[in-house]
Amino acid sequence: MPKINRSAVLALLSLASLAFLLFQLGYYRLYLSHKNGSGFSKGRGSQSGQDSTRWHVVRKFLGLISSHNIPVYLIDPLILGLVEKDMEQIRSSPEGPSPQCRYFCAPRDFTTFALLDKTWKHEVGLFRTAEKMGFQWLKIINKDPRLDGMDDLSGMEIPLHYIFKLASHAIHLVVFYERSGNYLWHGPLRLKQHMDRKFVPFRKLHFGRYPGAYEKPELLHVSIDDLKVQIPKNPSSFLEEMSHSRFLECRYREARAFFQLYPDDASLDAVEFRTKAKSLLHLAALTLNNLGVKFWLSSGTCLGWYRQCNVIPHSKDVDLGIFIRDYKAEIIPAFQKAGLPLKHKFGKVEDSLELSFQGEDDVKLDIFFFYEEDDHIWNGGTQAKSGKKFKYLFPKFTLCWTEFVELKVHVPCETLQYVEANYGPDWKVPVKAWDWKSSPSNVQSNGVWPVDEWDDVIQIY
Amino acid sequence: GEVYGEKHAKSPALSTWGDPVLLKTEVHLTSVEDAECHWPDTELNRRRKRFCSKVEGYGSVCSCKDPTPIEFNPDPLKDNKVFDVPVAVIAGNRPNYLYRMLRSLLSAQGVNPQMITVFIDGYYEEPMDVVELFGLSGIQHTPISIKNARVSQHYKASLTATFNLFPDAKFAVVLEEDLDISVDFFSFLSQSIHLLEEDESLYCISAWNDQGYEHTAEDPSLLYRVETMPGLGWVLRKNLYKDELEPKWPTPEKLWDWDMWMRMPEQRKGRECIIPDISRSYHFGIVGLNMNGYFHEAYFKKHKFNTVPNVQLKNVESLRKDAYETEIHRLLGEAEVLDHSKNPCEDSFVPDTEGKVYVMFIRMEQEADFTTWTQLAKCLHIWDLDVRGNHKGLWRLFRKKNHFLVVGVPASPYSSKKPSSVTPIYMEPPAKEEGAVAVPAVAAAEQT
Repeated sequence: MPKINRSAVLALLSLASLAFLLFQLGYYRLYLSHKNGSGFSKGRGSQSGQDSTRWHVVRKFLGLISSHNIPVYLIDPLILGLVEKDMEQIRSSPEGPSPQCRYFCAPRDFTTFALLDKTWKHEVGLFRTAEKMGFQWLKIINKDPRLDGMDDLSGMEIPLHYIFKLASHAIHLVVFYERSGNYLWHGPLRLKQHMDRKFVPFRKLHFGRYPGAYEKPELLHVSIDDLKVQIPKNPSSFLEEMSHSRFLECRYREARAFFQLYPDDASLDAVEFRTKAKSLLHLAALTLNNLGVKFWLSSGTCLGWYRQCNVIPHSKDVDLGIFIRDYKAEIIPAFQKAGLPLKHKFGKVEDSLELSFQGEDDVKLDIFFFYEEDDHIWNGGTQAKSGKKFKYLFPKFTLCWTEFVELKVHVPCETLQYVEANYGPDWKVPVKAWDWKSSPSNVQSNGVWPVDEWDDVIQIY
Repeated sequence: GEVYGEKHAKSPALSTWGDPVLLKTEVHLTSVEDAECHWPDTELNRRRKRFCSKVEGYGSVCSCKDPTPIEFNPDPLKDNKVFDVPVAVIAGNRPNYLYRMLRSLLSAQGVNPQMITVFIDGYYEEPMDVVELFGLSGIQHTPISIKNARVSQHYKASLTATFNLFPDAKFAVVLEEDLDISVDFFSFLSQSIHLLEEDESLYCISAWNDQGYEHTAEDPSLLYRVETMPGLGWVLRKNLYKDELEPKWPTPEKLWDWDMWMRMPEQRKGRECIIPDISRSYHFGIVGLNMNGYFHEAYFKKHKFNTVPNVQLKNVESLRKDAYETEIHRLLGEAEVLDHSKNPCEDSFVPDTEGKVYVMFIRMEQEADFTTWTQLAKCLHIWDLDVRGNHKGLWRLFRKKNHFLVVGVPASPYSSKKPSSVTPIYMEPPAKEEGAVAVPAVAAAEQT
């Protein structure tokens, strides 16, 4: 055996252990830096600590809910806005690893997700697991609006929102409920007395200022920033819905009070009229929605919703309003095709347009077109035999969603002033003999159509 | 438990009361730890603890050793077509009935507790406690009106709320708190619900056979079509409720029974319900708005109730409108005509056979002539307070384990099956004397 130099071996060993020590140190530093969140996806890309905290919190949250089989989908407007721009790319390359954190690292206080109530089994285990993972959570519950109606029912309060807080980021989980009329509803976020108002910056939440109504979205599984998540298939239309999603409940308590004073008409005629009006309204909604024309409940139909949460039995027709800027020539043929022929057309697109379609038996569908001015809105009326024009003025209003006879429809958000403009301060008192030329409070004479225009502005079929 | 004190005073004579008694004793309070049971800490036992700390009288639910289970894991039902159908339990203030009913409901095969909602007519605590014990969802309704109108308003509120809570449901199962539910209740519905969806001539599916008593019902796999709405565990189609019934539901001041209203021709419009020969629900309520002990003894106690699990219903497609007629004609063709000179009330009217089909013809002058039928029902000890179970003037039941068909002549279209030599039996209601029993006209003629 050749003589091995003892000191050489010693030097070699100490060199090896030094190298090993250095390697350990280096790895430890890398590990620490990962933990502090200053790395992303194998440490590439230079992001600040805060940004990837958000990514990590989202990832933890997604891990939490998937381990409990809870299907959520992303509704965060900020992220969806970014995603929308890259939709093509995201759709086409679902599994590719992302080199950079482009979406979930965007500066923001919350990441908003949606949960459809009926897909969730409500087991308590979720929250224990969340706590173990380090989340602090908050639940917002309130009365179930689906129990609202002419009867006084009270059940358990339902969860409307959850907030999961971890590190410096929070997840806002909005609970959506499916309601009659084929839409999804979410509730407002109201803090109760005992809740910590400083838990998260509540004012910065995107959802919860008002209750909201949305169409049931089709979802898409995508991979964003290496995280598998579900998003609405059409983010831009979802974002568009968000901007005018405000929902108003029908005023059932006031409706019950109204029926105490003026008992409901339970006669067979009234029941029949209500049935016909309901199916006419459903058909009109279907037709206009297919055309993409926005409409709202107007005149007597709106009064019925506001005052008694039902069709007024002595009203003769169904009234809808459409902004003239939303007018489409296809409206008339579309209604014809749906089985509602045009009964009369008054006015013209430029002035006082009004359409009336014939429904089943004697029930008409009246569509009033509204013209927007600087400080008010108006619609026009025409008296066929004299050519007299009328103008009905309304203060400016915006549109909100509501549920009426099992349909999701628009009504003016500022309903009281709309109704008062049309029906005056005594709108609470039923009036059976209504003359459209003189009864409304907001009616004004608007001159007369020139005779040479009559053929154009007064068309009766 | 331990007796804390006891005292009594005897009455000296039958005509006088005993002296008043003053009893003083000490009742020692036990600490919470000793008074409470130490069940293992699970979600179920937490519910049990909450319940037992408020309520007593439910037997072994609260026993420390071996408490009765409050969760049942009945076998799942394969291809369960009613898994997503909401179940509305209409309840009042009979919590012990509700407890019994929910136990049987939660033990039925194929039950989906997430779809069950208990609607309580009033802000009563104990029924709500029972609902929470089983981990179910309960809703309280502010009662309106009085007596039967209060009940009908409660039904309306509950049905409207059910369809609001489950907007994509096409049906709802309606149950009351005084029913035992058979173990194959959902299996029965799962096999028959497609008929309610597809056959427009059907009004409902009910688990209750008005004429199904222990001595008149035999076959758990047999179904009938009847022109009445029995209730007592039934399925309501959503479009029937929303389009027809809800808009004209009786208003609160109308003192009508909701089920009598539903049976009226203006509502029923000639449609029929499907019922099983052997009922899938058992009405055990003795106390209630329309109930009392005697009524229960006479008409409900001996009702036949199915306890066989997973019964496969026979020939379900033959319950469709036209197919049923074919089936009836086939049965009538096979049926042996009984000796009409005998007294139909006697046991000997039906031969001592088993499994055969017999037919009997009674007098029925026009569609609404139920004179003879009512007397027959009375003497057979089946439901005779009004006419139930008929289908175009035909009644079907069992006697001595033989299928027994009763045809009303000439009102029933099946009268054509009557041999010309047979005279339909006529039974008159008895004269106004107490205790008179109707005697068939034929037998009376024989006596003179």
